[in-house]
This record gives sequence, C-alpha cells and structure tokens, in this order.
Amino acid sequence: MGSIWQDIRYSGRMLWKQRLATLVSILAFAVGIGVNTAMFSLAEAFLLHPAPFENANRVVALVDSRPHQNIDMNAIAPATYFDWRKEVRSFDRLGAYAWDETSLTGNGPPQRIQAFRISANLFEMLGVQPQLGRGFLSEEEQPGKDQEIILGHALWEQHYASDEHILGKNIKVDGKSFTVVGVMAKGFDFPLPAEAWIPLAIDTKERERRDSRWLWVLGRLKPRVSFSEASAEMQAIAQREAQAYPENNKGWELRSMTLAQSMTGDITREYTLLLMGAVAFVLLIACADVANVQFARMAGRTNEFAVRTAIGGSRSRIMRQLLMESLLLAGCGAAVGLLMAQWEIQMILSHMPPDVAKFIAGWKTIGLDPNAFLFTLAIVVLCAILSGMAPSLFASRANLADSLKESGRGSTSSRARGRLRGALVVAEISLALVLLVGAGLLVKNFQGLLNVNESYSPRTLLTMNVGLSDTRYPKDSTRLAFHEQVLERLSRLPGVESAAFVTHVPYSEGGGVGTYVFSIEGRPPAERGELRNAIIETVSPNYFGLMKIALLGGRLLTDADGANAPPVAVISESLARRYFPGENPLGAHIKVGGMDSPRPWMTIVGVVKDVHYSWINKENIPTIYGPFRQAPPYYTTILLRAADDPSQLISAARAQIAAVDPELPLYNIKPMNRIITESIIGIAYVAAMMAVLGGIALVLASVGVFGVMSYSVSERVHEIGVRMSLGAQTSDIVRMVLRRGMLLTIIGLAIGLPIAFALARALSSVLFGVAPADPFSFIGLPLLLAGVAALASYLPARRAARVDPLAALRCE
Amino acid sequence: MEPIIQLRNLEKSVEAGPNRFFLLRRVNLDIQPAEFVTIMGPSGAGKSTLLSIIGMLDGAWTGEYYFNTEPVHRLNVKKRNELHKANIGFVFQSYHLIDNLTVFENLEVPLSYKNVPHKERVSRVCDALDRFNIVGKKDLFPNQLSGGQQQLVGVARAVIMNPKLILADEPTGNLHSAQGDEIMQLFKRLNDAGTTIIQVTHSERNASYGHRIIQLKDGWVVGETATADVGANAAQPG
Ligand SMILES: Nc1ncnc2c1ncn2[C@@H]1O[C@H](COP(=O)(O)OP(=O)(O)O)[C@@H](O)[C@H]1O
Ligand SMILES: [Mg+2]
Repeated sequence: MGSIWQDIRYSGRMLWKQRLATLVSILAFAVGIGVNTAMFSLAEAFLLHPAPFENANRVVALVDSRPHQNIDMNAIAPATYFDWRKEVRSFDRLGAYAWDETSLTGNGPPQRIQAFRISANLFEMLGVQPQLGRGFLSEEEQPGKDQEIILGHALWEQHYASDEHILGKNIKVDGKSFTVVGVMAKGFDFPLPAEAWIPLAIDTKERERRDSRWLWVLGRLKPRVSFSEASAEMQAIAQREAQAYPENNKGWELRSMTLAQSMTGDITREYTLLLMGAVAFVLLIACADVANVQFARMAGRTNEFAVRTAIGGSRSRIMRQLLMESLLLAGCGAAVGLLMAQWEIQMILSHMPPDVAKFIAGWKTIGLDPNAFLFTLAIVVLCAILSGMAPSLFASRANLADSLKESGRGSTSSRARGRLRGALVVAEISLALVLLVGAGLLVKNFQGLLNVNESYSPRTLLTMNVGLSDTRYPKDSTRLAFHEQVLERLSRLPGVESAAFVTHVPYSEGGGVGTYVFSIEGRPPAERGELRNAIIETVSPNYFGLMKIALLGGRLLTDADGANAPPVAVISESLARRYFPGENPLGAHIKVGGMDSPRPWMTIVGVVKDVHYSWINKENIPTIYGPFRQAPPYYTTILLRAADDPSQLISAARAQIAAVDPELPLYNIKPMNRIITESIIGIAYVAAMMAVLGGIALVLASVGVFGVMSYSVSERVHEIGVRMSLGAQTSDIVRMVLRRGMLLTIIGLAIGLPIAFALARALSSVLFGVAPADPFSFIGLPLLLAGVAALASYLPARRAARVDPLAALRCE
Repeated sequence: MEPIIQLRNLEKSVEAGPNRFFLLRRVNLDIQPAEFVTIMGPSGAGKSTLLSIIGMLDGAWTGEYYFNTEPVHRLNVKKRNELHKANIGFVFQSYHLIDNLTVFENLEVPLSYKNVPHKERVSRVCDALDRFNIVGKKDLFPNQLSGGQQQLVGVARAVIMNPKLILADEPTGNLHSAQGDEIMQLFKRLNDAGTTIIQVTHSERNASYGHRIIQLKDGWVVGETATADVGANAAQPG
C-alpha cells in the first residue's frame, strides 16, 4: 500500500516536471471525458430513464408497424385490442390510451390542453397514483359515464391555482361538463405531454373496427413471464389475426417494445447511439494523443528505467509506475471534464424550446447524477489503460544494455516505437475523418431541410390551430359558416396579404403527419393488403397560392368547388407518379377511406408539386387536397401571409376569430419558420453536436500529428545535421518532415475514407437531401483534415530546418 | 594557378560570460588545388572549427575566405550552401551515417539534394559501391557494419558527388591501423586523381600521406611542415 502511495507521489513529480506535456494530456482527456460524460447523461435520460415509473420494466408497449412503408410505430385498431384482452396470457393487464386534444371552456378564455383518454387500469399498471383523489373506475369506461377528468399537476397549479378542494367540482371540457376526480403528482405527464386524462370509453360500434388504428396499447407482464415470452405469444396472436383479417392486417407487423423503448422512439435511440459512437471516437483520439505524449516522455527516461531495472525494479513495478501516471492524468482530465460536461449539459438544456422538450421522454431527468459520476470513473480507468498500456509495455521491455548504449539513436526498439507512434497517428486521422464526414453529412442534411422549405417563405407565414368540437359544431353547415366568416374577416385584416386553411401545415406535430387510406375507383388494390396511403388536406382554394405550390397539370381548386358542386380533389405529383404511373390522373375518381367508405368519390382536377412534410421522410408523401366547402373540417390550421414579421398579426387575428366564436381557443400560434425549426430541432442538435465533435476530433488529431512529428524531429536531430552537411537545404529538410507527416495523414485518410463511406451509405438512407457521395464531405473534409495535419507537421518541420548542423554533429 | 582556398585573417569567437573566447585567431592559409593538407594540433585547438568553416557548415566568423576566388564571406546563406553542396564532401570521425537508411540509401542522400535523375543516381551509387568494394553490403544498415566498413561508406558518400574538396575530421580516429591505412590509401588515390583533401588527424602516420602539415594551437596557426616525400613512400607499402 505504501509503495502505491510512493508511486503516486513520484508520478506527480514526474508530471509536474514536464508541465506542458502534462497540460496537453490533461486537456485532451478533459475534452474526451467531458463529451462522454455529457453524452452519457443524455443517453441515460433517453435510453435508461425515459419511463420513470415503478413498474416501467414490467410494462410492454404493443405497437403495429409497417416495415415497407417505414412506419415503425403505429397505434392498434380497437377490435384487435379487445381481442387481445380476451386472449393474452402473458399479461395480467392490458391497458390503452388515445390522444385527445381538447379545450377547457367556460371560466375565462378558452384554453387548449393536451388530454389523453386512458383505460381505467393504466395508472395502476404503471404503479402511479393520483396525488389527490382517485384514478378512473372500470365502469367509467362506458360511453355516457365517462364525464370525469384527472388533472395534471401543472394544469391544476396554473389554471386552478392549486385549489385543494377541486375534487368533485365540475369543469367544462369542449363545452361538456366533467367532474374532477383526481390530480396527479408533480412531474407526471405520461403519455407525453399529458396535461389531463379522461376515461377511454369506446362504444360498441367502434369496438368492432379493424380499419382505423388509434389505440396505444400497454401490457403488464405477469410475475414470472419474461419479455421475450410475452413477445413470442403476441407474435403468434398477430399471425393468427393476419390470417383471419387479411384485408386489414396484411403488411402490418406487431412489435413488442419495452415501455422505455417505445417512449424514446427509434429515431431518438438511433441518433443517441450515433452520438455515443461519436464521443467514443473522440475519447479514442484523446487516448491516442496521450499515449503519444507518454511515449515521448518515456523516451526521455529510458535511462531512468534502465537504472531502475539494474537496481532490481521489476518489470511490473515499472509498468505500474507508468500506469499510475496515466491514471493521474486521466483523473485530472476527468475533474476538468466533469466541469465541461456540466457546461455542455447546460448548453444542451438551455437551447431546447419548451414546446419541443415536453415531447422528449426523459428530458427532465438530464443531468449529472451519481450514475454519471460512476460512468466517468469507469472512463478514467479505461483512459488510463488505453493511453498508458502500450507506452508502459515498451518502457518496461527496453533492456538495460540497449538503452544505455543507444543514446537515442536508431536501434530496433526505437524503430518499433516510431512505427507504433505512427500507427497511433494514423488511427487518430482515420477516426477523425469518419467523425468529420459524419458531421458533414448531418450538417448538410440539416441545411437541406432548411432550404427545402424556403420556396414558400416560411418567415412571413403565421399559423394557428382551431378545433371545432362536434358538440358545438355538429353540422357541416355551421362549420362551413365558421370557416367562411373567419376567412373573410382575416383576409380583410390590414397587413394580411392572404389567409388560407389547411388541415396540417408541413412540419407540424414534429413532422409526424398522419396518412389515411384512400381508394381509386375501378381499381381495387392489386394485392390484398396493399395500402394506398396519402396525407389528406382540406384546404381553402387559395392555399396553393399562399404556399406557392405550383400547378403541374389540370386546374387548382376554386371558390366554385362548393357543397353543391361535384366533389373534386387536387393531388400531389408524388401521388400521380406512384398511383398513376404513365397515365393521366385527371378525371380519375378517388376517395378517402376504403372502397366501401361512405365518403363521396372525388374527381381529380389537378396535379400540384409536392411539399416536403417531415424531416423523417426522405421521399415526398402522396397528398390529396380537397376543398373545405365540400367537407367542412373540425380541425383546421389557419395560415396568414404577412408582408414581413407575421407575429404582429396575432392579436388582431385573435380578435377577428373571437368575433366569430368567443369560446374557441386558438393554439399553436407560431410563425411557420418556427414550426419548421422546432420540428427539426432534434436533427439540429444532432448536427450541431456532431459538428462540435468533428471539430474536437480535428483539433485532437492535429495535436497528435504535431506531437508525433515534433518528437520525431527531436529524435532525428542528428540525421538532420548529417543531411545538412551533405548539402540538404532548409527546404529539403522541411519537405522531408512534411512528407512523413503527410504520409501518415494520407494512410489515415485512406483507412478512414472507406469507413466513412460505409457510414455515409448507412446515414444517407435515413437522411434527407444527402447524397452518399457528397463532395463536400468526401473531398472537402478530407482536404481540411489534410490541411490541418500539414500545418501541424509544418511547425515541427520549421524547427527541423533550424537545426544547427554543427551542434547536431558535435553532440556525440 | 589560383589557390582553391584562401583564408585571410579568419577569426571565430564565442561569448564566454563577459569575455570573448577565440576559437580561431588570425588564420591565414592558402591551399592549392589537388593539395593534400593535414591539420594537426592538440585537442581543443580549433581544428574541427576550422574544418567546418572551410566546409561552409559554419558561417559565423570574421575575416575573408575565398573559395576558388569566390568571396565566401560576402555570400548569403543560400549561395554559401550551394557552393558547399557543389564542391565539398565531408568525412567524419564517427562516420555520421544515417542509421535508418541502408548503405545504398546512405550513398544516395547527397545525390538526392542535387536533383540528380533517378537513373543516374542508381548508376553512380553502383559505381561507388563497386569502387569501394562494398557491393555486398548495399542492403545492410550501418549498425550491421564494422567501423572500417562504415567509414568506407562514409568516404564513398563524400566522393560520390565528385567534390573538388574533401574535408575529413579524424577519419580514422575510431579505426584500428589496418583499416586506417585502407582509408588513407583511398584518400591518396583520390588526391592523385585531382581532389583537394584537408584532413585532421593526430596520427603522424596518416599525416605522412599528405603534402603539408599545418599545426594549430589555441586557435593560432603555429607552424607548417612539408611531408611530400614521406607521403609518397608510405603510399606504396610493400
Ligand atoms: N559553439 C561553440 N561554443 C563554445 N565553444 C566551442 C564551440 N565550438 C567549439 N568550442 C570550443 O572550442 C574549442 C575548439 O574546438 P574544436 O574545434 O572542436 O577543437 P578540436 O581541435 O579538438 O577539433 C574547444 O575548446 C571547444 O570546446
Ligand atoms: Mg575536433
């Protein structure tokens, strides 16, 4: 024990003696460890703790997916859910929830809230209880008895001033009266971003439906049943169902996911893993840097080691001594790294808009917790081993006679050392390149996402949502009147260039726009289970003009396409291309829903250019536009085109809509460009983080090149002197050193490029607007890296050129 | 004929605390083309210093130095380096071969600094290997050779450019006498073929190969003796 303490003291002294090298090593470690700790905190929040409930690890999410159409997670049809409730054995409970946006009315200005309809057993399944009052009772799942509401803590606090006596009071939701039966504890907002819960009551007719999927189903595992057993059972059930109901289930596949997985979502998980890979790369590069510094320090101490061996120090003792130095370096690096991580996390948290953060499972739990400290400790040990192993092995092997005789000049062991150091630099360069290319592609992707929408100038567009409840607007004519009046009033507002309606604007709802089945007259799906899916937009005729969507054929919708005119639709180019390849779609008849749907057939009168809807989709999604007068919607997005900053229009627009319906809440009032940036903020984060990591990798790799080249120059002073005495000019020497630096760099690039290319192929299948052979990433970034490496070897090369041949030749 | 080297009042000093310390003092020296001159003197006399000034590795001195009538003292570093590169070959006591290069590559080094085309480079290296009887060693590294063999390579490297002047600083200092004689005979032959040679040595035997001995002491030239006849005899042993 005493000898370890001695080792520590001695290590400290050695590190202090070579302060610059020590500082460089500590900084490299600090940066490497800092990003890893910060990333760990994110990953922990997203992957480990997205579901902070007692029973979370016993709860399984059962979702539908459609692999050929890139639908990873979809809700379940009610009939399927009720079948499962009868059949499954693996779960002791099956529960479900459904999204339900409503508004609180009466009692002041109406307020839009995110409510969920939940089965009565849902809270119990998760192991949570209301802070006040009770959960729902199973009899409240019957239609007509479902007029109860449980409030979220934040809503209770803000809207009801934390009223302790709220239980039993009636509040108005969408004009209907609901009894408050409970208030949830602070912070509970499952399913994200719930503000209130009402019972999930499904009427008998809806219970039979298999063609509309809107229930999110959770199951709690029976005590001795494992996840995989349950998953296998569900697969078997799903297969039986696919056979029994092929028209509805063909092409769909059931996925069992842990609750945590389902809350994080595949994309978040994938990007989190990508970033974890990136920070691991940074750590490896930092370790290679420190290893190189250690090699250089060690070379200056060969005599010390020789003497230590000579006086009976064992090999393992010397190794321990050197590893202790690395451990000390990593420890100091970690101390600085933790501060950096804290700062990085602060940056990450502070730049996320709350409107987005509320949808991210685990976001609230991000922070440096005890786990992050443990992780950092583990990283410290890993770093010490990675950076200290090779140098200490070499040092402890150097034998006495060799090192006493060698005096720094080319023996076999110093040649081997030189090769290993070269290999470290090569590895650093290739790792840095892979990271840089990854960052380049993601940044490119992000720019592409921003640019694709510039066509309709999102900066001068204001959007807001209204939802007409079917209790207050049950009739088509009343909804139509509402829309006509609002449109007329808003168009007349000063500052408004035009006003239009659309169901969903592109990029709204985080880009997760829903698609619906549609049918083409006279053309039943060729194959059973083939899905004809499209975004269905109900628009005012001037929507196309306002969004600058170009007409490609036929005509646009007009004001004449009214309730009594023949039903018409305009389709997007992608729909025409996919479903009417090589033929003229104009005049064909389509309708929303299956062949037997009660909706009317619509004649296609025009084809327009596509609009990019979501960053998730690389390809355009087929879209059908119908005129609002022929199907007055409940849910609408109002669009206002302003001359410049559209936010000045908000209060006037509010007043105009209130004049039509004072009870109606307006929500999501945002300029279009904010909708877009909020929708792609996740990818912006990933791109920004990758860019930062790429920059760090670039710096660390160039530090590595610099270190190795300056060490090799100091090792070759004699040779340089000889060469000068043989007629080498300054430029010859500079070129010689540069050539070696560039050789290492080029080997590194040659190894890194294919890896980067493979990565790019994998990424570009996911990313929008990124070619796998993007010239910026594959030519520009390697050149940048080569340039920085050249600079990093130029400095030692200059020093080499200043070698005094006299001095170099004299010191024998 | 003009001397190949003319030194006039050449001085070199370094700062030693508050004082100047003279390494060379008022050196005046003429060396004729195809002369074989030996510089002798006790250790620390300034022999190596003088050689590196003549060899233009050292530019920090005062006085006048004409190389082939070219005023070296007025040349900038670049010009001086070019003059050095074109005319002078060095042989060192400790050989100063480059450890990480093979014999062949070591011989190639000076050629590489004179833009000799690759083909000619190879043929000249092969010639030199031939001439110095070291063809069999061409792929070996210096630390795989004996001292004598290393110095052979050192000499071969110095002459491969056909320099007008060879400067040899104690070339046999690390060799035993048989090896030393081999090197000296080599020098003799080169000198006979017209190369000017200046060597530093402590050995009377080696000095006897040259035409003239210059005695150096504490930076001063303190004497000069001719050795021409002795040298001629020693050159034909047996
Ligand atoms: N750059 C220098 N700075 C200080 N002293 C030097 C320098 N170069 C040589 N000397 C000293 O000058 C003297 C002459 O050196 P040198 O020419 O190597 O002598 P030698 O005749 O043994 O070859 C020695 O005392 C040496 O220590
Ligand atoms: Mg000397």
